[in-house]
Amino acid sequence: MAGKTIVVTSGKGGVGKTTTVANLGTTLAKKKYSVVMLDADIGLRNLDVVMGLENRIVYNLVDIIEGKCRKAQAMIRDRKLSNLFIIPAAQTREKNAVNPEQMRQLCAELAEEFDFVLIDCPAGIEQGFKNAVAGASTAVVVTTPEVSAIRDADRVIGLLEASELKNIYLVINRLNVKMVKKGDMMSTEDIISLLSVPLLGVVPESEEVVISTNRGIPLVHERGSKAGSAFRRIASRLNGESIPIDEDGADGFFGRMKRLIWN
Amino acid sequence: MSLTESPPVQVKADRNGFTLVPDPAATFDAIVAYMRQRLEHSHDFFHKTDMVLDLRTKPFRSDEITALYEILFDKAQVKLIEVRLSDDLSFMVEGEMQRRRMRASGTEKPKENDSPLIVRNTCRSGVRIVSPSDCVVLGDVNPGAEIVASGDIIVFGSLRGIAHAGAAGELSARIWALSIEPSQIRIADLVAVPPKGGKPVPKRFEVAEVQSGAIQVITV
Repeated sequence: MAGKTIVVTSGKGGVGKTTTVANLGTTLAKKKYSVVMLDADIGLRNLDVVMGLENRIVYNLVDIIEGKCRKAQAMIRDRKLSNLFIIPAAQTREKNAVNPEQMRQLCAELAEEFDFVLIDCPAGIEQGFKNAVAGASTAVVVTTPEVSAIRDADRVIGLLEASELKNIYLVINRLNVKMVKKGDMMSTEDIISLLSVPLLGVVPESEEVVISTNRGIPLVHERGSKAGSAFRRIASRLNGESIPIDEDGADGFFGRMKRLIWN
Repeated sequence: MSLTESPPVQVKADRNGFTLVPDPAATFDAIVAYMRQRLEHSHDFFHKTDMVLDLRTKPFRSDEITALYEILFDKAQVKLIEVRLSDDLSFMVEGEMQRRRMRASGTEKPKENDSPLIVRNTCRSGVRIVSPSDCVVLGDVNPGAEIVASGDIIVFGSLRGIAHAGAAGELSARIWALSIEPSQIRIADLVAVPPKGGKPVPKRFEVAEVQSGAIQVITV
Protein backbone atom coordinates (compact mmCIF):
# COMPACT_ATOMS: atom_id res chain seq x y z
CA MET A 1 0.00 0.00 0.00
CA ALA A 2 1.25 3.43 -0.85
CA GLY A 3 2.21 5.62 2.08
CA LYS A 4 1.10 9.12 2.91
CA THR A 5 2.88 12.08 1.39
CA ILE A 6 2.68 15.10 3.65
CA VAL A 7 4.06 18.55 2.93
CA VAL A 8 4.80 20.90 5.82
CA THR A 9 4.47 24.48 4.68
CA SER A 10 3.77 27.97 6.01
CA GLY A 11 4.38 30.78 3.55
CA LYS A 12 6.31 32.84 6.05
CA GLY A 13 9.80 31.83 7.05
CA GLY A 14 10.97 31.04 10.55
CA VAL A 15 7.71 29.72 11.94
CA GLY A 16 9.05 26.22 12.55
CA LYS A 17 8.47 24.12 9.43
CA THR A 18 11.76 22.27 9.68
CA THR A 19 11.38 21.70 13.42
CA THR A 20 7.89 20.35 12.80
CA VAL A 21 9.11 17.99 10.07
CA ALA A 22 11.99 16.73 12.23
CA ASN A 23 9.75 16.09 15.23
CA LEU A 24 6.82 14.57 13.35
CA GLY A 25 9.15 12.33 11.36
CA THR A 26 10.96 11.16 14.47
CA THR A 27 7.72 10.47 16.34
CA LEU A 28 6.23 8.49 13.47
CA ALA A 29 9.45 6.50 13.14
CA LYS A 30 9.34 5.78 16.88
CA LYS A 31 5.88 4.34 16.29
CA LYS A 32 7.59 1.81 13.99
CA TYR A 33 6.46 3.35 10.73
CA SER A 34 9.02 3.71 8.00
CA VAL A 35 9.53 7.40 7.37
CA VAL A 36 11.51 9.46 4.89
CA MET A 37 11.90 13.21 5.27
CA LEU A 38 12.57 15.16 2.11
CA ASP A 39 14.19 18.58 2.36
CA ALA A 40 12.75 20.55 -0.57
CA ASP A 41 14.42 23.80 0.45
CA ILE A 42 17.08 23.65 -2.24
CA GLY A 43 19.83 26.20 -1.66
CA LEU A 44 18.91 26.73 2.01
CA ARG A 45 19.12 23.28 3.43
CA ASN A 46 18.36 22.97 7.14
CA LEU A 47 16.72 19.67 7.93
CA ASP A 48 20.02 17.79 8.09
CA VAL A 49 21.34 20.24 10.70
CA VAL A 50 18.23 19.94 12.84
CA MET A 51 18.55 16.15 12.66
CA GLY A 52 22.29 16.32 13.39
CA LEU A 53 23.22 14.53 10.18
CA GLU A 54 24.99 17.23 8.18
CA ASN A 55 28.38 15.49 8.17
CA ARG A 56 26.98 12.36 6.52
CA ILE A 57 25.70 13.99 3.34
CA VAL A 58 27.20 12.67 0.12
CA TYR A 59 24.33 12.87 -2.39
CA ASN A 60 21.23 15.03 -2.32
CA LEU A 61 17.76 15.54 -3.77
CA VAL A 62 19.00 17.17 -6.99
CA ASP A 63 21.47 14.30 -7.55
CA ILE A 64 18.58 11.82 -7.40
CA ILE A 65 16.49 13.84 -9.80
CA GLU A 66 19.35 14.36 -12.23
CA GLY A 67 20.10 10.63 -12.09
CA LYS A 68 23.59 11.02 -10.59
CA CYS A 69 22.82 8.51 -7.86
CA ARG A 70 20.23 5.96 -6.80
CA LYS A 71 17.58 6.99 -4.29
CA ALA A 72 19.01 4.69 -1.65
CA GLN A 73 22.42 6.32 -1.95
CA ALA A 74 21.11 9.78 -1.06
CA MET A 75 19.02 8.62 1.90
CA ILE A 76 20.71 9.14 5.22
CA ARG A 77 19.70 6.87 8.07
CA ASP A 78 18.97 8.54 11.40
CA ARG A 79 21.47 8.06 14.20
CA LYS A 80 18.95 6.55 16.57
CA LEU A 81 16.11 5.13 14.51
CA SER A 82 16.84 2.61 11.80
CA ASN A 83 13.50 3.21 10.00
CA LEU A 84 13.94 6.99 9.65
CA PHE A 85 15.70 8.52 6.66
CA ILE A 86 16.31 11.98 5.32
CA ILE A 87 17.01 13.10 1.78
CA PRO A 88 18.90 16.39 2.05
CA ALA A 89 18.48 19.31 -0.32
CA ALA A 90 21.34 20.55 -2.46
CA GLN A 91 23.00 23.55 -0.89
CA THR A 92 24.85 24.71 -3.99
CA ARG A 93 21.89 24.68 -6.35
CA GLU A 94 18.72 26.72 -6.73
CA LYS A 95 15.01 25.95 -6.60
CA ASN A 96 14.69 25.75 -10.37
CA ALA A 97 17.05 22.77 -10.50
CA VAL A 98 13.91 20.69 -9.95
CA ASN A 99 10.44 20.91 -11.46
CA PRO A 100 7.06 19.93 -9.99
CA GLU A 101 6.65 16.96 -12.35
CA GLN A 102 9.96 15.44 -11.19
CA MET A 103 8.99 15.96 -7.55
CA ARG A 104 5.62 14.33 -8.15
CA GLN A 105 7.33 11.29 -9.59
CA LEU A 106 9.92 11.08 -6.81
CA CYS A 107 7.24 11.37 -4.11
CA ALA A 108 5.16 8.66 -5.76
CA GLU A 109 8.19 6.35 -5.85
CA LEU A 110 9.04 7.06 -2.22
CA ALA A 111 5.44 6.52 -1.14
CA GLU A 112 5.68 2.98 -2.53
CA GLU A 113 8.57 2.20 -0.21
CA PHE A 114 7.69 4.16 2.93
CA ASP A 115 4.68 4.62 5.19
CA PHE A 116 5.24 8.35 5.46
CA VAL A 117 6.96 10.82 3.16
CA LEU A 118 7.37 14.19 4.91
CA ILE A 119 8.34 17.12 2.71
CA ASP A 120 9.94 20.20 4.23
CA CYS A 121 8.72 23.10 2.11
CA PRO A 122 10.74 26.30 1.67
CA ALA A 123 9.28 29.65 2.71
CA GLY A 124 7.58 31.67 0.00
CA ILE A 125 5.07 30.75 -2.68
CA GLU A 126 7.35 30.55 -5.71
CA GLN A 127 9.01 27.68 -7.52
CA GLY A 128 10.26 25.98 -4.34
CA PHE A 129 6.77 25.93 -2.87
CA LYS A 130 5.28 24.58 -6.10
CA ASN A 131 7.90 21.81 -6.18
CA ALA A 132 7.32 20.84 -2.57
CA VAL A 133 3.54 20.80 -2.89
CA ALA A 134 3.41 18.93 -6.20
CA GLY A 135 3.90 15.46 -4.82
CA ALA A 136 1.92 15.78 -1.60
CA SER A 137 -1.55 14.46 -0.81
CA THR A 138 -1.80 16.10 2.62
CA ALA A 139 -0.58 19.48 3.80
CA VAL A 140 0.27 20.65 7.29
CA VAL A 141 0.30 24.43 7.50
CA VAL A 142 2.42 25.75 10.35
CA THR A 143 1.77 29.21 11.70
CA THR A 144 2.68 31.26 14.74
CA PRO A 145 0.17 33.54 16.48
CA GLU A 146 1.41 36.63 14.65
CA VAL A 147 -0.68 38.54 12.13
CA SER A 148 2.03 38.33 9.47
CA ALA A 149 2.41 34.56 9.79
CA ILE A 150 -1.36 34.11 9.76
CA ARG A 151 -1.82 36.23 6.67
CA ASP A 152 0.82 34.16 4.86
CA ALA A 153 -0.75 30.92 6.10
CA ASP A 154 -4.09 32.12 4.75
CA ARG A 155 -2.55 32.80 1.36
CA VAL A 156 -0.85 29.40 1.34
CA ILE A 157 -4.10 27.63 2.25
CA GLY A 158 -5.75 29.43 -0.64
CA LEU A 159 -3.00 28.26 -3.00
CA LEU A 160 -3.20 24.69 -1.67
CA GLU A 161 -6.95 24.65 -2.19
CA ALA A 162 -6.44 25.98 -5.70
CA SER A 163 -3.98 23.16 -6.44
CA GLU A 164 -6.71 20.73 -5.37
CA LEU A 165 -4.96 19.54 -2.26
CA LYS A 166 -7.90 18.78 -0.03
CA ASN A 167 -6.41 17.52 3.26
CA ILE A 168 -5.11 20.64 4.90
CA TYR A 169 -4.35 20.76 8.62
CA LEU A 170 -3.10 23.50 10.87
CA VAL A 171 -0.36 23.48 13.50
CA ILE A 172 0.00 26.54 15.69
CA ASN A 173 3.56 26.89 16.85
CA ARG A 174 5.08 29.01 19.59
CA LEU A 175 1.90 29.88 21.45
CA ASN A 176 2.59 31.71 24.67
CA VAL A 177 -0.33 30.91 26.99
CA LYS A 178 0.55 33.74 29.37
CA MET A 179 0.48 36.34 26.64
CA VAL A 180 -2.81 35.02 25.28
CA LYS A 181 -4.34 35.31 28.75
CA LYS A 182 -3.19 38.90 28.99
CA GLY A 183 -4.71 39.56 25.58
CA ASP A 184 -1.35 40.37 24.00
CA MET A 185 -1.37 37.45 21.58
CA MET A 186 -3.94 36.01 19.22
CA SER A 187 -5.62 32.97 20.71
CA THR A 188 -6.04 29.60 19.05
CA GLU A 189 -9.72 30.40 18.72
CA ASP A 190 -9.05 33.63 16.79
CA ILE A 191 -6.62 31.92 14.45
CA ILE A 192 -8.99 29.08 13.66
CA SER A 193 -11.93 31.37 13.04
CA LEU A 194 -9.83 33.16 10.46
CA LEU A 195 -8.12 30.25 8.74
CA SER A 196 -10.99 27.75 9.09
CA VAL A 197 -8.98 24.55 8.63
CA PRO A 198 -8.89 21.64 11.12
CA LEU A 199 -6.34 22.01 13.89
CA LEU A 200 -3.77 19.27 14.51
CA GLY A 201 -2.35 20.77 17.65
CA VAL A 202 -0.71 23.67 19.40
CA VAL A 203 2.96 23.76 20.33
CA PRO A 204 3.77 26.01 23.28
CA GLU A 205 6.66 28.44 23.04
CA SER A 206 9.72 26.90 24.64
CA GLU A 207 13.46 27.37 24.97
CA GLU A 208 13.92 23.64 24.67
CA VAL A 209 13.19 23.89 20.96
CA VAL A 210 16.22 26.11 20.35
CA ILE A 211 18.44 23.88 22.45
CA SER A 212 17.38 20.71 20.69
CA THR A 213 17.77 22.31 17.27
CA ASN A 214 21.29 23.43 18.10
CA ARG A 215 22.20 19.98 19.41
CA GLY A 216 20.71 18.27 16.39
CA ILE A 217 18.45 16.00 18.45
CA PRO A 218 14.69 16.30 17.84
CA LEU A 219 12.74 17.36 20.90
CA VAL A 220 10.48 14.33 20.90
CA HIS A 221 13.39 12.26 22.20
CA GLU A 222 13.24 14.23 25.46
CA ARG A 223 10.70 12.78 27.82
CA GLY A 224 9.71 15.72 30.01
CA SER A 225 9.40 18.40 27.33
CA LYS A 226 6.01 20.07 26.88
CA ALA A 227 6.71 21.10 23.32
CA GLY A 228 7.97 17.60 22.60
CA SER A 229 4.78 15.99 23.87
CA ALA A 230 2.77 18.49 21.81
CA PHE A 231 4.63 17.29 18.71
CA ARG A 232 4.03 13.67 19.71
CA ARG A 233 0.29 14.29 19.91
CA ILE A 234 0.29 16.13 16.61
CA ALA A 235 2.01 13.15 14.98
CA SER A 236 -0.57 10.78 16.46
CA ARG A 237 -3.44 12.87 15.16
CA LEU A 238 -1.79 13.07 11.77
CA ASN A 239 -1.68 9.29 11.87
CA GLY A 240 -5.43 9.24 12.38
CA GLU A 241 -5.53 8.56 16.12
CA SER A 242 -8.16 10.62 17.88
CA ILE A 243 -6.68 12.35 20.87
CA PRO A 244 -8.66 15.14 22.47
CA ILE A 245 -6.93 18.42 21.89
CA ASP A 246 -7.52 19.86 25.36
CA GLU A 247 -4.41 18.10 26.69
CA ASP A 248 -2.36 20.57 24.71
CA GLY A 249 -2.43 23.39 27.16
CA ALA A 250 -3.26 23.96 30.78
CA ASP A 251 -6.03 26.21 29.55
CA GLY A 252 -9.33 24.36 29.55
CA PHE A 253 -11.18 26.95 27.51
CA PHE A 254 -8.90 26.59 24.50
CA GLY A 255 -9.06 22.87 24.93
CA ARG A 256 -12.81 22.84 24.59
CA MET A 257 -12.64 25.11 21.58
CA LYS A 258 -10.03 22.97 19.87
CA ARG A 259 -11.83 19.73 20.59
CA LEU A 260 -14.93 21.17 19.02
CA ILE A 261 -13.04 21.95 15.86
CA TRP A 262 -11.14 18.71 15.78
CA ASN A 263 -14.28 16.57 16.01
CA MET B 1 7.82 49.46 -30.47
CA SER B 2 10.87 51.17 -29.03
CA LEU B 3 10.77 53.66 -26.23
CA THR B 4 12.22 56.49 -28.25
CA GLU B 5 9.40 56.44 -30.79
CA SER B 6 6.16 58.09 -29.89
CA PRO B 7 3.31 55.64 -29.33
CA PRO B 8 0.86 55.09 -32.22
CA VAL B 9 -1.85 56.71 -30.13
CA GLN B 10 -1.57 59.17 -27.30
CA VAL B 11 -3.92 58.91 -24.33
CA LYS B 12 -4.48 62.36 -22.92
CA ALA B 13 -6.33 62.90 -19.69
CA ASP B 14 -8.45 65.96 -19.12
CA ARG B 15 -11.24 67.09 -16.87
CA ASN B 16 -13.93 65.16 -18.73
CA GLY B 17 -12.08 61.89 -19.21
CA PHE B 18 -9.57 60.62 -21.70
CA THR B 19 -8.89 61.67 -25.26
CA LEU B 20 -7.26 59.35 -27.76
CA VAL B 21 -5.09 61.10 -30.31
CA PRO B 22 -3.78 58.69 -32.98
CA ASP B 23 -0.44 59.40 -34.58
CA PRO B 24 -0.97 60.30 -38.27
CA ALA B 25 1.83 57.89 -39.31
CA ALA B 26 0.55 54.89 -37.35
CA THR B 27 -1.45 52.07 -38.88
CA PHE B 28 -4.83 51.12 -37.51
CA ASP B 29 -3.52 47.71 -36.42
CA ALA B 30 -0.69 49.30 -34.46
CA ILE B 31 -3.17 51.57 -32.73
CA VAL B 32 -5.41 48.68 -31.80
CA ALA B 33 -2.48 46.60 -30.56
CA TYR B 34 -1.19 49.50 -28.50
CA MET B 35 -4.59 50.15 -26.90
CA ARG B 36 -5.06 46.48 -26.04
CA GLN B 37 -1.68 46.41 -24.36
CA ARG B 38 -2.30 49.68 -22.59
CA LEU B 39 -5.63 48.50 -21.16
CA GLU B 40 -4.16 45.19 -20.08
CA HIS B 41 -1.17 46.74 -18.36
CA SER B 42 -3.13 49.38 -16.51
CA HIS B 43 -5.50 46.78 -14.96
CA ASP B 44 -8.69 48.60 -14.19
CA PHE B 45 -7.35 52.13 -14.25
CA PHE B 46 -9.38 52.82 -17.38
CA HIS B 47 -12.22 50.56 -16.30
CA LYS B 48 -15.62 52.01 -17.30
CA THR B 49 -14.18 55.35 -18.24
CA ASP B 50 -15.37 57.49 -21.09
CA MET B 51 -13.03 58.26 -23.95
CA VAL B 52 -13.08 60.72 -26.81
CA LEU B 53 -11.48 59.80 -30.12
CA ASP B 54 -9.72 62.72 -31.72
CA LEU B 55 -9.50 62.22 -35.48
CA ARG B 56 -8.47 65.71 -36.44
CA THR B 57 -4.99 64.61 -37.54
CA LYS B 58 -5.68 61.03 -38.62
CA PRO B 59 -9.00 60.12 -40.19
CA PHE B 60 -10.48 56.66 -39.56
CA ARG B 61 -12.94 54.73 -41.65
CA SER B 62 -16.27 54.19 -39.98
CA ASP B 63 -15.74 50.43 -39.64
CA GLU B 64 -12.44 51.19 -37.90
CA ILE B 65 -14.22 53.40 -35.42
CA THR B 66 -16.73 50.64 -34.73
CA ALA B 67 -13.94 48.07 -34.32
CA LEU B 68 -12.07 50.29 -31.89
CA TYR B 69 -15.27 50.98 -29.97
CA GLU B 70 -15.85 47.26 -29.52
CA ILE B 71 -12.29 46.48 -28.51
CA LEU B 72 -12.25 49.22 -25.89
CA PHE B 73 -15.57 48.05 -24.50
CA ASP B 74 -14.56 44.38 -24.42
CA LYS B 75 -11.22 44.99 -22.79
CA ALA B 76 -12.18 47.37 -20.02
CA GLN B 77 -15.73 48.50 -20.66
CA VAL B 78 -14.36 51.76 -21.85
CA LYS B 79 -16.97 53.76 -23.73
CA LEU B 80 -16.01 55.74 -26.75
CA ILE B 81 -18.52 58.50 -26.32
CA GLU B 82 -17.47 61.05 -28.85
CA VAL B 83 -15.55 61.24 -32.11
CA ARG B 84 -13.98 64.57 -32.96
CA LEU B 85 -13.60 65.04 -36.71
CA SER B 86 -12.44 68.64 -36.90
CA ASP B 87 -12.40 71.62 -34.60
CA ASP B 88 -16.07 72.36 -35.01
CA LEU B 89 -17.38 68.97 -36.06
CA SER B 90 -17.82 66.02 -33.78
CA PHE B 91 -20.44 63.37 -33.25
CA MET B 92 -21.63 61.41 -30.28
CA VAL B 93 -21.40 57.68 -30.74
CA GLU B 94 -24.79 56.12 -31.29
CA GLY B 95 -26.28 54.33 -28.34
CA GLU B 96 -24.26 56.39 -25.94
CA MET B 97 -26.70 59.24 -26.61
CA GLN B 98 -29.66 57.18 -25.57
CA ARG B 99 -27.95 55.91 -22.44
CA ARG B 100 -27.01 59.41 -21.48
CA ARG B 101 -30.58 60.56 -21.91
CA MET B 102 -31.77 57.71 -19.75
CA ARG B 103 -29.28 58.59 -17.08
CA ALA B 104 -30.34 62.21 -17.18
CA SER B 105 -34.01 61.40 -16.84
CA GLY B 106 -33.23 58.88 -14.11
CA THR B 107 -35.82 56.38 -15.29
CA GLU B 108 -33.51 53.41 -15.49
CA LYS B 109 -29.96 52.68 -14.52
CA PRO B 110 -27.78 51.64 -17.44
CA LYS B 111 -26.47 48.19 -16.62
CA GLU B 112 -24.68 45.93 -19.05
CA ASN B 113 -24.84 42.90 -16.82
CA ASP B 114 -27.25 42.77 -13.90
CA SER B 115 -26.55 39.31 -12.57
CA PRO B 116 -24.45 39.42 -9.41
CA LEU B 117 -21.20 37.51 -9.09
CA ILE B 118 -21.52 34.83 -6.43
CA VAL B 119 -18.42 33.52 -4.70
CA ARG B 120 -19.13 30.32 -2.81
CA ASN B 121 -16.06 30.05 -0.63
CA THR B 122 -13.91 32.05 1.71
CA CYS B 123 -11.75 34.65 -0.01
CA ARG B 124 -8.29 34.15 1.36
CA SER B 125 -5.32 36.48 1.30
CA GLY B 126 -4.13 37.18 -2.23
CA VAL B 127 -7.50 36.64 -3.90
CA ARG B 128 -8.89 39.51 -5.95
CA ILE B 129 -12.44 39.39 -7.19
CA VAL B 130 -13.77 41.93 -9.63
CA SER B 131 -17.47 42.04 -10.44
CA PRO B 132 -19.06 44.19 -13.13
CA SER B 133 -22.24 44.33 -11.05
CA ASP B 134 -22.99 43.24 -7.47
CA CYS B 135 -20.86 40.68 -5.65
CA VAL B 136 -22.10 38.14 -3.11
CA VAL B 137 -19.55 36.23 -1.04
CA LEU B 138 -20.84 33.19 0.82
CA GLY B 139 -17.98 33.01 3.33
CA ASP B 140 -15.44 35.31 4.91
CA VAL B 141 -13.23 37.85 3.23
CA ASN B 142 -9.88 37.47 4.95
CA PRO B 143 -7.22 40.15 5.35
CA GLY B 144 -5.24 40.55 2.15
CA ALA B 145 -8.18 39.65 -0.08
CA GLU B 146 -9.81 42.29 -2.27
CA ILE B 147 -13.36 42.51 -3.57
CA VAL B 148 -14.13 45.11 -6.21
CA ALA B 149 -17.71 45.49 -7.48
CA SER B 150 -19.43 48.13 -9.51
CA GLY B 151 -22.56 47.60 -7.45
CA ASP B 152 -23.11 46.43 -3.88
CA ILE B 153 -20.96 43.94 -1.99
CA ILE B 154 -22.71 41.42 0.23
CA VAL B 155 -20.62 39.20 2.49
CA PHE B 156 -22.29 36.39 4.43
CA GLY B 157 -19.41 36.22 6.85
CA SER B 158 -16.82 38.57 8.27
CA LEU B 159 -15.36 41.23 6.04
CA ARG B 160 -11.74 41.62 7.08
CA GLY B 161 -10.07 42.41 3.76
CA ILE B 162 -10.56 45.28 1.33
CA ALA B 163 -13.97 45.91 -0.21
CA HIS B 164 -14.60 48.46 -2.93
CA ALA B 165 -18.27 48.93 -3.79
CA GLY B 166 -19.49 51.20 -6.55
CA ALA B 167 -16.09 50.98 -8.19
CA ALA B 168 -17.36 52.75 -11.27
CA GLY B 169 -18.31 55.77 -9.22
CA GLU B 170 -21.72 54.77 -7.88
CA LEU B 171 -22.06 56.66 -4.59
CA SER B 172 -25.27 54.87 -3.66
CA ALA B 173 -23.53 51.47 -3.55
CA ARG B 174 -23.42 49.76 -0.19
CA ILE B 175 -21.41 47.08 1.54
CA TRP B 176 -23.28 44.49 3.60
CA ALA B 177 -21.60 41.97 5.90
CA LEU B 178 -22.33 40.00 9.05
CA SER B 179 -19.45 41.86 10.55
CA ILE B 180 -17.43 44.69 9.05
CA GLU B 181 -13.91 44.81 10.45
CA PRO B 182 -12.00 45.52 7.25
CA SER B 183 -8.50 46.72 6.60
CA GLN B 184 -10.10 49.35 4.38
CA ILE B 185 -13.44 49.94 2.67
CA ARG B 186 -14.07 52.04 -0.37
CA ILE B 187 -17.29 53.23 -1.90
CA ALA B 188 -16.94 54.99 -5.25
CA ASP B 189 -13.96 57.30 -4.71
CA LEU B 190 -14.28 57.50 -0.92
CA VAL B 191 -11.99 55.53 1.35
CA ALA B 192 -12.50 54.69 5.03
CA VAL B 193 -10.47 52.83 7.60
CA PRO B 194 -12.04 51.42 10.77
CA PRO B 195 -11.60 53.44 13.97
CA LYS B 196 -8.94 52.22 16.39
CA GLY B 197 -9.96 50.15 19.36
CA GLY B 198 -12.52 47.43 19.83
CA LYS B 199 -16.09 47.68 18.73
CA PRO B 200 -19.22 45.92 19.93
CA VAL B 201 -20.26 42.69 18.27
CA PRO B 202 -23.06 43.43 15.80
CA LYS B 203 -26.48 41.91 16.38
CA ARG B 204 -27.29 40.76 12.87
CA PHE B 205 -25.35 42.43 10.13
CA GLU B 206 -23.70 45.67 9.28
CA VAL B 207 -24.01 48.01 6.34
CA ALA B 208 -21.51 50.54 5.09
CA GLU B 209 -22.95 53.40 3.07
CA VAL B 210 -22.19 56.97 2.16
CA GLN B 211 -23.83 59.52 4.40
CA SER B 212 -23.13 63.21 3.92
CA GLY B 213 -19.95 62.60 1.98
CA ALA B 214 -18.30 60.02 4.25
CA ILE B 215 -18.53 56.28 4.69
CA GLN B 216 -20.51 55.24 7.76
CA VAL B 217 -20.89 51.71 9.12
CA ILE B 218 -24.32 51.07 10.61
CA THR B 219 -25.28 48.06 12.69
CA VAL B 220 -28.70 46.79 11.78
